Amino acid sequence: MRASVRVNGRAEPVAEGETVAGLLERLGLGARYALVERNGEPVERERYEEVELEDGDRLVIARPVAGG
Amino acid sequence: MTSSTNDPLVIAGREFRSRLLTGTGKYDTFETMREALAASGSQIVTVAVRRIDLDARDDDITAFLPEDVLLLPNTSGCETADEAVRTARLARAGGLPDWVKLEVIPDPRYLLPDAVETLRAAAALVEDGFTVLPYVLPDPVLQKKLEEVGCATVMPLAAPIGSGRGLKLRDSIRIMVEQAEVPLVVDAGLGSPSHAAESMELGADAVLVNTAIARAGDPVAMARAFRLAVDAGRAAFRAGLMEEGVQAIASSPLSGAVHGP
Repeated sequence: MRASVRVNGRAEPVAEGETVAGLLERLGLGARYALVERNGEPVERERYEEVELEDGDRLVIARPVAGG
Repeated sequence: MTSSTNDPLVIAGREFRSRLLTGTGKYDTFETMREALAASGSQIVTVAVRRIDLDARDDDITAFLPEDVLLLPNTSGCETADEAVRTARLARAGGLPDWVKLEVIPDPRYLLPDAVETLRAAAALVEDGFTVLPYVLPDPVLQKKLEEVGCATVMPLAAPIGSGRGLKLRDSIRIMVEQAEVPLVVDAGLGSPSHAAESMELGADAVLVNTAIARAGDPVAMARAFRLAVDAGRAAFRAGLMEEGVQAIASSPLSGAVHGP
């Protein structure tokens, strides 16, 4: 069974049991400084490997950018 | 030897040699930014937090930032306290420091901060364990309230962000300097090294500069100039400025001129 989540508003299919780290890797963001929020709650970096995505999850993926 | 010798800036118990905080915005390239940050001597460097565009891959700014500086995420783009708290918590969870430059700005034209929402967000973030550095209009009453809720600094603007107009709100900032119980950082609107020196002479503990360096003809040379100006202004403040007067007071003897009787 495949599930679908929303990443920054866009629908993204995910495999069952896929983790935050797995999704970041698949999106080509594995090496980046990625900040992740899941269903309105921030996800601790140390938990990216263990948090499994569920159907309907709403994710925000952000990163540090230039700013004053 | 510079004025920073044995005169550290202490924020939330942490010591910094440099009293010049810098932003990372508006540089033409990340390479120039990296060089300018090094030339500035800054030990606290701000970044913004934004959603990743999944279709457009830009460079990762963190690869261009010196490792020995404290990254200070800001909450720019937030118009309410709730948005700012959410952004700060996301940054911290993702591995950025638990220090935050708190900006709550509903006004797109002058980019002036919302005092009520800023105070509300500051209280919530301090409660949640953050070291909070709020960006505010120079309001001495608000300063006291921010100190009471536990902010680590108060950062009044000199003039609107990016305007380069200098210490337009000097008299209010002077009152804030006089009554500050946590470091006062003049943030925004400084356009030249002389503005930075003036802020430090007035007794500000530090200044935060972005546009004036990033948009200079030679940002690396300008970063160095700001570093010198901040040191000079701090040294002047510690030395004690002479009192201003209205009339002239001769520097040379008034008697014994060569042409005398």
